[in-house]
Amino acid sequence: MPRPISGASRRAHVLRLAAMLVILVGFVDLARGGIVLAPLALVVGYLVLAPLSFFID
Amino acid sequence: MATAARETLRPSYRAAAVTAAAILALYVATLAPTTAMWDASEYITAAYTLGIPHPPGNPLFVLLGRVASLLPLGNVAFRINLLAAFCSALAAGIWFLVAERVLAQWIEVRWVRRMGAVLAAVLSATAFTVWNQSVVNEKVYTVSLAFFAVVSWLTVLWCDDPDGRRADRILILIAYLIGLGYTNHPAGFLVGPAVATAVLVRRPGTLLRWRLILAAVVALGFGLTPFALEPIRAAHHPALNEGDPTGCKEKIGFACTFSDTTVTRLMANINRVQYGKPDLSARQAPFSAQMGMWWLYFKWQWLRDPHSTQSTVQSMLALLFLSLGIAGGVVHYRRDRASFWFFGPLIATVTVALVYYMNFKYGASQSPELAGVAREVRDRDYFYLWSYSAWSVWAALGLVAVWRFLALLVGPTARWSTTAPVLLLGALPLVGNFRAASRAGDWATREWARDILNSVEPYGILITGGDNDTFPLWYAQEVEGVRPDVTVAVTSLLNTDWYMRGLMRRPAVKYDEAKGPAVYRGRSWPVPTKPILSLTPEQLSQVPEYIDVREPLRFDQGDIHAVIDPRRLEEGVPLRSDLLVLQMLKDNLGQRPFYISRSTAGYAQALGLDAYALTQGLATKIASTPLTASADTVAVPGLGHVDVARGLALWKSYGAPAAIIRRGDWVDRPSASIPALYTVTALALGQALEQQGREGDAQSIRKQGLDVAEGARITDWFVGAVPPTPAPAAGSDAPRGTPVPARP
Repeated sequence: MPRPISGASRRAHVLRLAAMLVILVGFVDLARGGIVLAPLALVVGYLVLAPLSFFID
Repeated sequence: MATAARETLRPSYRAAAVTAAAILALYVATLAPTTAMWDASEYITAAYTLGIPHPPGNPLFVLLGRVASLLPLGNVAFRINLLAAFCSALAAGIWFLVAERVLAQWIEVRWVRRMGAVLAAVLSATAFTVWNQSVVNEKVYTVSLAFFAVVSWLTVLWCDDPDGRRADRILILIAYLIGLGYTNHPAGFLVGPAVATAVLVRRPGTLLRWRLILAAVVALGFGLTPFALEPIRAAHHPALNEGDPTGCKEKIGFACTFSDTTVTRLMANINRVQYGKPDLSARQAPFSAQMGMWWLYFKWQWLRDPHSTQSTVQSMLALLFLSLGIAGGVVHYRRDRASFWFFGPLIATVTVALVYYMNFKYGASQSPELAGVAREVRDRDYFYLWSYSAWSVWAALGLVAVWRFLALLVGPTARWSTTAPVLLLGALPLVGNFRAASRAGDWATREWARDILNSVEPYGILITGGDNDTFPLWYAQEVEGVRPDVTVAVTSLLNTDWYMRGLMRRPAVKYDEAKGPAVYRGRSWPVPTKPILSLTPEQLSQVPEYIDVREPLRFDQGDIHAVIDPRRLEEGVPLRSDLLVLQMLKDNLGQRPFYISRSTAGYAQALGLDAYALTQGLATKIASTPLTASADTVAVPGLGHVDVARGLALWKSYGAPAAIIRRGDWVDRPSASIPALYTVTALALGQALEQQGREGDAQSIRKQGLDVAEGARITDWFVGAVPPTPAPAAGSDAPRGTPVPARP
């Protein structure tokens, strides 16, 4: 049976939180005019942390 | 699942990674060292400056490209080209896994499955368009290809075990990736129908699980949030800010960012309102012709024959790979029904459905015998990159089926090794496409950008006409810092409301004499003190889209008295762009040198400025008084006045002629107006020199010009008489409708 989507593990929750945080940092830096930290944070957030948080139990 | 079966299905991740690495090595060996024609310069500039390329703005690509540009490898363009190569190699590695997974249902011998998987990866990576687009970042489609492949693999995993522990998470991840892929390019959604079909066939009840559906919708929405980059960056007014999707006029602020103006402009960007899109029921060419275009480019995939010297072999190979693909599809259906119901609809979507949706006119090189039909400005094979890449997987499966048939034919037990040489058929595109797909050592576009910018005197304004005489200049100025003192204004974008705002906002940059060409050294060049246009933002917004006049118009400014015949203008009436160009001329006479690029195909003449047009290398300077012949200014019949001394000095400094000759070919015919301009320039200079009685110099420069034509393989354009007329205009890429208003 598929594990219920609401039943994510603590590890998944931590990853999800980390993804949100990193993406938020990216957008804040972007708004301040940053063009180095912002893209790095957004790429890591969107393409590494967020997918992992969806996939990991 | 039984242990043996699980072992058979275990993916060879390591082998896939090794295959992808080998393909990446091939791409690096054939990688463009710098920028290229068409959209490459626009995307590289957008990534480097974290700017906004043409709608929809591709924020995910911009982020990825910016990160790639930070790599400590080669120059900026090389780094971003490497991103394209990496994405395609990743996709090839995933096609390895998909093919191996399908073969696992059918072939028991592990090394045979792996060979089939390698074949799928190699074929998909060396199909002409995939290869050619993977060695320079001309578009954002290789990033989309990587997303397609990742979603494909996740869907295959889900199909394997739709009731497994991770099944729901995989679906949510797929939804997220589809949303995220859309922020790279709208094509990201193309994989959606195939995923939906697979779910519907494998576990239809899934679609009734509302919690799961809700979670998927939320994930998809979250995947779309990178679009927030556009208004945030636009408010900082980066060098490249197409569509200007912000309500903030000076600097970023909460109120202006969350304003109606921002929302309207952002949605216009995302929905590509600027370009319009004809109703799908109004076909731009018969659907059969549009499928014919797909077939034409399909033929290119297995043997690119740009000069039509091997048409028969090309057609035979196309039939072979079409048959292999069909055979592969049948095998896929029979042996692995679960993944077929994803992959089959995917191929249908990126082939037939995409052909219908794109609704192209005739291709630039399609059916040349048809005169008078509306044509795309260039060949658009890149739009079917996903189709050819996925088809290659089926072609590989088909070839494995042939291999198996032969192996069984040879003996009672399959003799795989004996019959393995048949797999060499899969190496044909690698061999046949190498010359045409490779972009190694191609520096011509970068040199062209430098040459045209250096044709303009310090602080000059340069009017350009389309993609190929504009985007490389943006790249040169913003990425390489070449002649940032020159203001480049492209007429196709002057018709939009946002472009002129950006031009007026552009800061003045001091001319660096040490970096400029020798011809401008040792003179004083006054720094302009006024903006390039005297209009206020309100006055600017009131410039009409066009003036509906058919009679000749007068333009008087100082000693310039020009008569503009609307019939000589491209649209038959003066457009907003024409009015703004004339206003710029008016405001800058005596303030800034004013130039029109000769790639605009006689735009100065269309504006009635013949008597004031002085050819200086690749550009035409507009003089403030009528020109008369003198020692160095020679009137050449059919062209007008040529500044011989300046032209010769510039010609000697140009880098593109040598680059074009060294390369020995040009990327495509539609952009060959650029090398043709060099030839025309040399021929015109030759004629002027001849008129001055300098026969030897005239012959020498004519030969150099014709060598360029030979290097670009366009000598047929100069057969017979050698008319010193300007080259055709460089067109605008992408099926953007048209940025100019509708014809009155």
